[in-house]
Amino acid sequence: MLSRVAESLFWMSRYFERAENTARFLDVNFNLLLDLDSITPVDHPNYWKPLIMVMADPEHFNSLYPEYDAHSVTDYLVFNRGNSNSILSSISMARENARSVIESISSEMWEQLNNLYHFLQSVSPQQVHSDPYTFYKEIKNASHLFQGITDNTFSHNEGWAFVQIGKYLERADNSARLIDVKYHMLTTSPARHSDLVSGSVDIIQWMAVLKSCSALEAFRKVYLSKIDPENILDFLILDRSFPRSITFSICAAQEALWRISGSSSHRYANNVDRLIGKMEAEMSYATVEEILQQGVRPFLEEIEQGLARIGEQLHLLYFAYHTPKIEPADISEALPFTGLDGRRANWSQSQQQQQ
Amino acid sequence: MTRLFDQYHPQSDRFFDEVISHESAPRPHYGIMMQRFNQFSAADIRARRELVNIFFRNQGITFTVYGVDEGIERIFPFDLIPRIIPASEWEGIERGLIQRITALNLFLADLYQDQKILRDKIIPAELVLGSKHFRREFVGVRPPLGVYIHVTGSDLIRDAEGRYLVLEDNLRTPSGVSYMLQNRIAMKRAFPVLFDRYTVRPVENYPQQLLRTLQEISPTPKLDPKVVVLTPGIYNSAYFEHSFLARQMGVQLTEGRDLVVNNNKVYTRTTRGLKIVDVIYRRVDDEFIDPLVFRPDSVLGVAGLINAYRKGNVTLANAIGTGVADDKVIYSFVPQIIKYYLGEDPVLDNVETWLAGNPKHLKYILENLDKLVVKAANESGGYGMLVGPESTPEQRERFAEKIVENPRNYIAQPTISLSRHPSFFNETEIAPCHIDLRPYVLNGKSISIVPGGLTRVALRRGSLVVNSSQGGGSKDTWVIDN
Repeated sequence: MLSRVAESLFWMSRYFERAENTARFLDVNFNLLLDLDSITPVDHPNYWKPLIMVMADPEHFNSLYPEYDAHSVTDYLVFNRGNSNSILSSISMARENARSVIESISSEMWEQLNNLYHFLQSVSPQQVHSDPYTFYKEIKNASHLFQGITDNTFSHNEGWAFVQIGKYLERADNSARLIDVKYHMLTTSPARHSDLVSGSVDIIQWMAVLKSCSALEAFRKVYLSKIDPENILDFLILDRSFPRSITFSICAAQEALWRISGSSSHRYANNVDRLIGKMEAEMSYATVEEILQQGVRPFLEEIEQGLARIGEQLHLLYFAYHTPKIEPADISEALPFTGLDGRRANWSQSQQQQQ
Repeated sequence: MTRLFDQYHPQSDRFFDEVISHESAPRPHYGIMMQRFNQFSAADIRARRELVNIFFRNQGITFTVYGVDEGIERIFPFDLIPRIIPASEWEGIERGLIQRITALNLFLADLYQDQKILRDKIIPAELVLGSKHFRREFVGVRPPLGVYIHVTGSDLIRDAEGRYLVLEDNLRTPSGVSYMLQNRIAMKRAFPVLFDRYTVRPVENYPQQLLRTLQEISPTPKLDPKVVVLTPGIYNSAYFEHSFLARQMGVQLTEGRDLVVNNNKVYTRTTRGLKIVDVIYRRVDDEFIDPLVFRPDSVLGVAGLINAYRKGNVTLANAIGTGVADDKVIYSFVPQIIKYYLGEDPVLDNVETWLAGNPKHLKYILENLDKLVVKAANESGGYGMLVGPESTPEQRERFAEKIVENPRNYIAQPTISLSRHPSFFNETEIAPCHIDLRPYVLNGKSISIVPGGLTRVALRRGSLVVNSSQGGGSKDTWVIDN
């Protein structure tokens, strides 16, 4: 298939997944605040700053808003067009990509994506503030519906595989960022005295992390009611069957990459397959004790870096086929969208057509 | 209950009515259709209109209007009453178009080879060589089968007596054929009952015919030549059509950046490496197609494409430089062109045309601005024109200055008498609206014309401009067996 078409399918899917994850983070934060309201005021920056840290560029945010409060953060993450990762920007980018390959996707897929786009255009910030639950649910459902439609109306060949890769790379990255930030917050707070975070407020926070991945129920089935950070880390990072865990996402992305290249385990056909295979193996044989020993942050940062490298190699191998080989030193400049600098991966603006 | 056609009284000396004759009787081929429409209630009509609207919206059949709020997507208005052309009339149109396209193709072949017609002084050489669409880079290049114009969409109109006249030849990248196909689908969904008593010739196989034509012009004979559609991209107003045709033909829709030229061969960039391309159905204008040869700032084209084309490694449809023959000035010479190459009289006449470049004509034009339609020779889409009778004195004055400044660039025609056809000007009432006809002509090993075409209709009351960018709509167009 055309490299451009593959690339657009990848980013369409990736941005849709990003919008869903942003909706999840925000939704859970609101719920969390209802629980914590008695302890700390809702607008306390501690609850809102991490969202910006995990999902956007704090510097850019600070240049626009004076405070990390509910209104500003919601506005920035949902509606701000200048924030390339806001829900509105993500869905616009997903739609833009879909529109440029409209003859390759099913008309049902286009209709669903287009509907969500028009829904977002019609919503006012006031509506979101007064009824966040309904709004975020709408976004999540739209994403689920899109995935279902894609699976059922779009031939499961190469293009579909690129859709899967986009979705799972984004999901793995988002989960890693979420855990990273929450863990960081909870462990560096000055009131902490034990090695591992505990206490009822923290438990509520950790439950919120689970909820934002729709993982609370699945988690309970495995660990019954033993909600402690170690189990939660184990579940969200290493569980092999829960569809939003990092390991699951990496396995799913690997499977899709193999569909394209014809690789299988122990035999890789190209650099992307090698990198994802290596990552999958590392995840498969890691234990939560090792992760804690190494430090959760360094471990998760390594995953984020690994995912960025996979994205970059994917680009070089499948999307930028004919471009001359770029010296490694130049890569970050030539490919501003890979996320190697720790920012979130974005569709290269230079690829967008100008007219 | 009032019947739909009871309110329809098109009598006029100036305009030919497609449905009602000068004796106020329905023309025979419209009889059944009128009966059927008369049986529908206002509610029926509304319900069917809604069906059609949903169909177009879901298909995403939209066009982009420039200059208004950075390009808004609009649904192309569709009129529910089909235009009917009996086979006897159609045969004349077909014969006329085949003759015209054959002659124009010979004309282009001559211009880009020996230029006999210029040496024989049938056409003043400076008119051709000075045309901004003449590509001297292609003199001496012969495309496969000697065919330059593979896809044409000529605009036909009818005068007060009902004679078909050619208003314009569109020899570059004519658009609208997707509307022709979609209109038929919409019509069949909304009014299956209308098709009962008519034998409507099918248009549905146009995409297959187009693909066959494109495969016929492959530079080297192959079992399965690789054809792609080249689009300027999603911001182009006809993007829907480009993607539609690619999908219908089952070929790839490419943008300039999907193609790469290596060693004078053209390839698509795919996830499995480079794949060779034989034929490009390009919907990108000459000026933008290769930054190395034409506009260097174009990001829509493919660097090196023209050299690959000159070497005969890839075929472009339509060929480069066909615009010289659909120039509105050259247009006025088409009757002589037909006579020169074929020794025949034209089957389809031109609309009477004055050239501002000719001093005698210029004088006439300036004296009669209020009666004439003046057009810029190289503009399309209804832009850059003055409709005399509808203009103000100030507008005429400003336009006169432009004409005198650059006479070569302007032509004038009488305010043409576009024929009229009953059309819905609001939800439930009809009125006579002006229409034209754009049939689509394919030219490969032989010339074929899909029976029908796109009938454009000026839905703004009294307006003579049928372009979609100026408030025009379209109709399903039926060619029926007698």
